[in-house]
Amino acid sequence: MQFIRVNMSDQTVKIEDVPQDYVGLGGRGLTSIMINNEVPPTCDPLGPENKLIFAPGLLSGTPLVNTSRISIGAKSPLTGTIKESNAGGTVAAALGKLGITAIIVEGVAPQGKLFNLIVDQNGNAILKAADDFKGMRTYALVEQLLQDHGEKNGVLCIGPAGEYQLASASIQTSDVDGRPCRAAGRGGLGAVMGAKGIKAIVISLQGKSPDAIADPESFKQSARVFAKAVKDHPFTGKMLGALGTAGLVSAVNSIGAFPSHNATKGVFEGWEKISGETLAETIQKRGGQTTHLGCSQCIIRCSNVFIDEGGKYVTSSLEYETIWSMGGMPGIDDLDVIARLDFLSDDIGLDTINTGVAIGVAMDAGYKEFGDGQAAIELMEEIANGSEFGKVLGNGPAAVGKHFDHHRVPVAKGQSIAAYDPRGMQGNGVTYATSPMGADHTAGNLVGSYLGGVLDPLKAEGQVKASREAQIAMASLDCTGLCLLAGAALSVPEASEALLKMINAKLDTQLEAGDIPALGIRVLKAELEFNRNAGFTNEDDRLAKFFYKEPLPPHNKVFLVTDDDLDSTFDFK
Amino acid sequence: MKIRVKLFGTLPQRYPGYDSSQGFEVEVPDGAKVKDLLARLEILPSDGGMVAVNNLVAQPNDPLKEGVSVLVLQSAFGG
Repeated sequence: MQFIRVNMSDQTVKIEDVPQDYVGLGGRGLTSIMINNEVPPTCDPLGPENKLIFAPGLLSGTPLVNTSRISIGAKSPLTGTIKESNAGGTVAAALGKLGITAIIVEGVAPQGKLFNLIVDQNGNAILKAADDFKGMRTYALVEQLLQDHGEKNGVLCIGPAGEYQLASASIQTSDVDGRPCRAAGRGGLGAVMGAKGIKAIVISLQGKSPDAIADPESFKQSARVFAKAVKDHPFTGKMLGALGTAGLVSAVNSIGAFPSHNATKGVFEGWEKISGETLAETIQKRGGQTTHLGCSQCIIRCSNVFIDEGGKYVTSSLEYETIWSMGGMPGIDDLDVIARLDFLSDDIGLDTINTGVAIGVAMDAGYKEFGDGQAAIELMEEIANGSEFGKVLGNGPAAVGKHFDHHRVPVAKGQSIAAYDPRGMQGNGVTYATSPMGADHTAGNLVGSYLGGVLDPLKAEGQVKASREAQIAMASLDCTGLCLLAGAALSVPEASEALLKMINAKLDTQLEAGDIPALGIRVLKAELEFNRNAGFTNEDDRLAKFFYKEPLPPHNKVFLVTDDDLDSTFDFK
Repeated sequence: MKIRVKLFGTLPQRYPGYDSSQGFEVEVPDGAKVKDLLARLEILPSDGGMVAVNNLVAQPNDPLKEGVSVLVLQSAFGG
């Protein structure tokens, strides 16, 4: 259990044992509690006092399936709040296998200096000058790094967007095939990485010193139970492998909650052309991969490989959120264009959600026509080239809205909403408004409850309670390194018990069922405290004004949850 | 009465030759409910099926109306 502490101001690297205060924490629990403890809440997110923390989950590096999710935390330059951004690929499992609990990056490199951090199979870490890599896009960057350091490495990196320190800049991670198509997209953490002067972190996949598991037999048995539950569940066992997360396009359109044309409609006219079903059909016809292993130890395989009509690779891991942000929001109904925009986002190092919505706002403001795919592609290249408008666009929808003085900017705390309209899914609106992260769907997504018919998405009743419970559950899950999708199996009691048993078997603890939500509450409390000290109040837990005024067709509802009810979401504050 | 049905998720795979642009027409008795249609199509709860009519999630006991368009999807959530 070790930390790698990197100080970019003097380029020193220290390996230290995890201090007692942080033992038993992982993933988002570790990043959020550490940021609340060690980062001045009013600091400049792009300055030396912010910390950028990379933490695998408590179960990353163990034999449990689907545990290669990494949490990356910092104060966000997009929202000004605390931020945890989550990504898959190989790096979390790699860090787990090295027994590295977190990499903590502090300070900032001298002006103009850029470095790579290299972590070898023995867990030794060094900083290397990376001047030759300045300005590189991520695909070429990762190809070069794997050539230089060997194929058996995972990479975290930024593209030009992170070097420009744009607020939509992502941190990309490499997948099992070595492609930087996985993203810690939300919150501009790529800008923090760029501000600190790190271009890439290269991590050996050959570590052989994971944290010892206190009771390996018990762990193995529970791991089998959990894996079986994942395989048997119709969603994780069948649907996700067949259609990926893109399967949601039809479902969310079918209930009129798919924000289209910059959130002016809840059904996108061309949705059947960009559905998960059409995506799978297109990929299959062309000989691509409809199911694909993207993340270490994954048995769901929701990823895909999209190729063009000539059989050439376009992109991998094309997700529901991107089909929405680069399709529904700018009104583009062409999968080839959407796939290209997905690739460009990964290559330039941009959050697909914030960027697609920024393009949508620009179109709504009249700068370009809705549906103009070629214009969207050119706008992405503008961001990469660092043009004046490119910088506005790369800073996200709020920046674009300000630039055009446009009233319809779908954000909360400065961050774009995701692929569920708050007027069509009122509870998702509660999550967007109240999450310490800003408008974040993974923080507490209620789509499963709506599609399962157990909660009415169009009424105010029941939404705050449902969002609260989901946010607490996700805050706990985000500590484990488990994929959110595998978390679907937790609806099965045996799987839920198995997860608890595995945590106890690893940490030699005696946690009970009630301790899991208690962990989530502890994490949320740390995040809320940081935000309060950073100057946020209840008045910031609101959606953009137009959501309260403009009804969304076809159901023609506005956002109905009252301010008082929103303020009761975290009743443990 | 006639109901137009469109299938989504992995459900179309059960019907070789299924036309995704048209779906197909199903004849059901007057007074039939959503659950009767699902039973007719042999779609079980374990398939994770959900039904949408008029942009709303339909409950199993909801009655069907003549000429209505029914979307049969597979319940999901994602990222």
